Amino acid sequence: MTTALQIDGLSVGYARADGSVNLVVKDVDLALEPGTILGLAGESGCGKSTSALAAVGYRSPGSRIVGGRSLLDGVDLLALPLAELRSLWARRIAYVAQNAATALNPALPIGRQLAQPLVRHLGLRGEELRARQLELLEQVGLPDPPGALARYPHQFSGGQQQRIAIAIALSCRPRVLILDEPTTGLDVTTQARISALLRTLVSETGVATLYVSHDLALLGTIADRMAVMYGGEIVEASSARAVTRRPRHPYSQALLGAVPSAHRPRAVAGIPGRPPSSVSLDACAFAPRCAHVVPDCTLARPELREIEADHVARCVRAEELAPQPNQGTVLAARTAAAPEPLLEVIDVCCEYRHRRTSHVVVRGVSLAVHPGETVGVVGESGSGKSTLLRAIVGLHAPSAGSIRLRGEELAPTAVKRPRAVRRELQIVFQNAESSLNPRHAVGDLVGRPVRLFRDDVARAEEPRAVAELLEAVKLPRSVANRYPAELSGGQKQRVALARAFAARPSLLLCDEVTSSLDVSVQATVLELLAELALQLDTAVVFVSHDLAVVRTIATRALVVRDGEVCEQGETERLFLAPSHPYTQELLSSIPEPAATSAA
Amino acid sequence: MTTADVLAPVVPVDEEARATPAWRTVLNTIEGRIGLAVGALMLLLIAFGRFFAPYSPNELGVGPRTQGPSAEHVFGTDSLGRDVLSRFLSGGDMILLVPLLSVVLAFLVGGGLGMFGGYRRGRADLVITRTFDLLLTLPPLLIVLVIIAGIGSSTAVLVVTAALVFVPRVGRLLRGATQAVVTNDYVAAAQARGERTAAIILREVLPNIAASAIAEFALRLTYAIIFVATLNFLGLGAQPPNPNWGLMVAEGRTYIAISPWATLLPAAGIAALSIATNLIADALTRHIARDTARGTVTL
Repeated sequence: MTTALQIDGLSVGYARADGSVNLVVKDVDLALEPGTILGLAGESGCGKSTSALAAVGYRSPGSRIVGGRSLLDGVDLLALPLAELRSLWARRIAYVAQNAATALNPALPIGRQLAQPLVRHLGLRGEELRARQLELLEQVGLPDPPGALARYPHQFSGGQQQRIAIAIALSCRPRVLILDEPTTGLDVTTQARISALLRTLVSETGVATLYVSHDLALLGTIADRMAVMYGGEIVEASSARAVTRRPRHPYSQALLGAVPSAHRPRAVAGIPGRPPSSVSLDACAFAPRCAHVVPDCTLARPELREIEADHVARCVRAEELAPQPNQGTVLAARTAAAPEPLLEVIDVCCEYRHRRTSHVVVRGVSLAVHPGETVGVVGESGSGKSTLLRAIVGLHAPSAGSIRLRGEELAPTAVKRPRAVRRELQIVFQNAESSLNPRHAVGDLVGRPVRLFRDDVARAEEPRAVAELLEAVKLPRSVANRYPAELSGGQKQRVALARAFAARPSLLLCDEVTSSLDVSVQATVLELLAELALQLDTAVVFVSHDLAVVRTIATRALVVRDGEVCEQGETERLFLAPSHPYTQELLSSIPEPAATSAA
Repeated sequence: MTTADVLAPVVPVDEEARATPAWRTVLNTIEGRIGLAVGALMLLLIAFGRFFAPYSPNELGVGPRTQGPSAEHVFGTDSLGRDVLSRFLSGGDMILLVPLLSVVLAFLVGGGLGMFGGYRRGRADLVITRTFDLLLTLPPLLIVLVIIAGIGSSTAVLVVTAALVFVPRVGRLLRGATQAVVTNDYVAAAQARGERTAAIILREVLPNIAASAIAEFALRLTYAIIFVATLNFLGLGAQPPNPNWGLMVAEGRTYIAISPWATLLPAAGIAALSIATNLIADALTRHIARDTARGTVTL
């Protein structure tokens, strides 16, 4: 078998205003073999997508190829004019974006979208065209292919949309397939099915695949070979099995340590700090965040060295470091002490009304939360778990049932509840982007609940209280003067946590608070949440679609589906011996890095 | 990048993300600069021009009637022998103040109602938007004609009627902008804190729509200046012998061939004022369009 795409010494930079170039990718070498998947891992901002797109000749606005070659069967893509590249794209090189909902044209039926490349590049017509369309939709496992051709993207679920996007990508039997986080943002069960589908399709069609993802556990189960990128360079490369079982670079080890596990009560260890914004030329780029840093690390840029047969790493200490990832500390240590429940939710139903139709999303859910304990609520999107939280905090009036705090019945909406109740129940939203008002400085955002709810803090003392809260979430005090747009995603979520804890709540409601974050950042936020909840003796209801995260942080958990509780109990029991078939299905869908199942 | 660079900024500030204040962008655009310069000039002229008037604006027969420019009367005289320059220097105040007040009133009433409706939704919103729609179906001049015919004209009536014309237009815009903002979780967070509606609208919503509101204000002011000048021209506003620019244009146009400046000078004043506000509105809109794309609109 010959290499389909050979990338040699690829370097990419962005032009600065003063004419110089900010190097973001340096000397990337990758080889894509037909019928295999090469996984490209790393946090956001490490240059994964930039490298993948630059390798097939795509230049994002402002970017520029500084050096290197990318040979598609011997032809250098980087030297081709745009017109020739265009004829190669879709025909020889296909790309699947992260979000199928935005990648598909909402105004065209999928038959038309599927026909476009077939007509343009292969010249198919009539019966031939229709036969190929149906064949492709069957191949990606879409139900009722003939009917699907006439339907529009919004009539399909997220997973089905991604299947359609994959069908379009494979329509012209490409030689190379680039997948950019194709399952990120999908539910675990959907993610598992799409991954399995991709694995089969790659073997069947023999397409050489580059799979970009921040999820090391997922890549470990699906990829043949794996390269880990950090700060625009490849820091480790080997077989996928070797990288996940015996990671040699501290960054790969840290990334694996940050992945929560649903199969073992393992704690997570976050990676403090964040990736550099450009390539480091005179030192190890990871040194500032590395737990194993020695003076040698900052003397020169380490070379990519062969540590063992077919395993390279860019670290001066690669041989001596233990190949086991950091196990972290156990987060979910707290159990309920008091017999009296803090919060009781009894047979709550919620529905959304529109005109005369109503859509029931929560159907009689009951749960109890005791002081100081962490309860997880697991379910896929649309299961009603977020609506349940909104009902508890008073943002959505339930249509039936009752919600009690310390035995007292709560009013259906927040405005009608006494101030003391509003202080005790605080919520943190999924997306800090949307939950922090961009027009207020961080100090004002965190200061508002202090002013409203903290009678123990005098007006003059407020700035000090805000500073203490920021320090509690491990942000420097100076952040108080910054606006949300100036912070990273993880920093914003810390601010949201500080704002929630500012009121000294007895119950914190967390709605998917880590699902828009990278694994490494997710781990730091989880650690912080667990630490603060323990310190301030706050009970937490943690809603997530990610079972692994829930297992990491919660002592007790509920599994919800279609607005009903399928199963609940101690997290340990729930995950070791799930009794409900739905819980079993959820658990079996989770990719696990090989290292952890072996340990 | 050296290691020190990586270590140094605990909270690295993305300079790109730092928003430029509106006034700076306005100054950086060519239309903004021209608009501000012309606007400032007109403002000085309207505020202090009267102190430099060579004659009293309403004094009859300070020179011969209906005459072109001369050494004593730089811009000539009108049909009653009044000095055109003196009248021009004294008559600009109401041409700016009436539109300004009416737009401010329209923003307070229409903007307030629009934001309230956009935030509350439901029945309140329905009543408000239907009222706006009803007002929008009536031709502006008809509204003004009926009201002034009914209760007579005064500065206050002029301000209120002009505001009535702008209320639904301003209200609809701010309602739409509010609707886009209220879906954000920070509004939900404020509701969960139990904040009152007024506090949520002022603290959470208004700062986020202020940019488009200000651009709309400048644009609406342009229309208002022309609209009020038109009313004065039609004799629905200021009454003789007031040196109001709109009225001056109306009075002078019969003699435009003999004493052109009696018409052209106030017309140019009105034009300069509306062009200046329009240019500033354009520059503001451009600032908002650019920063909205980046998600960092700041004023």
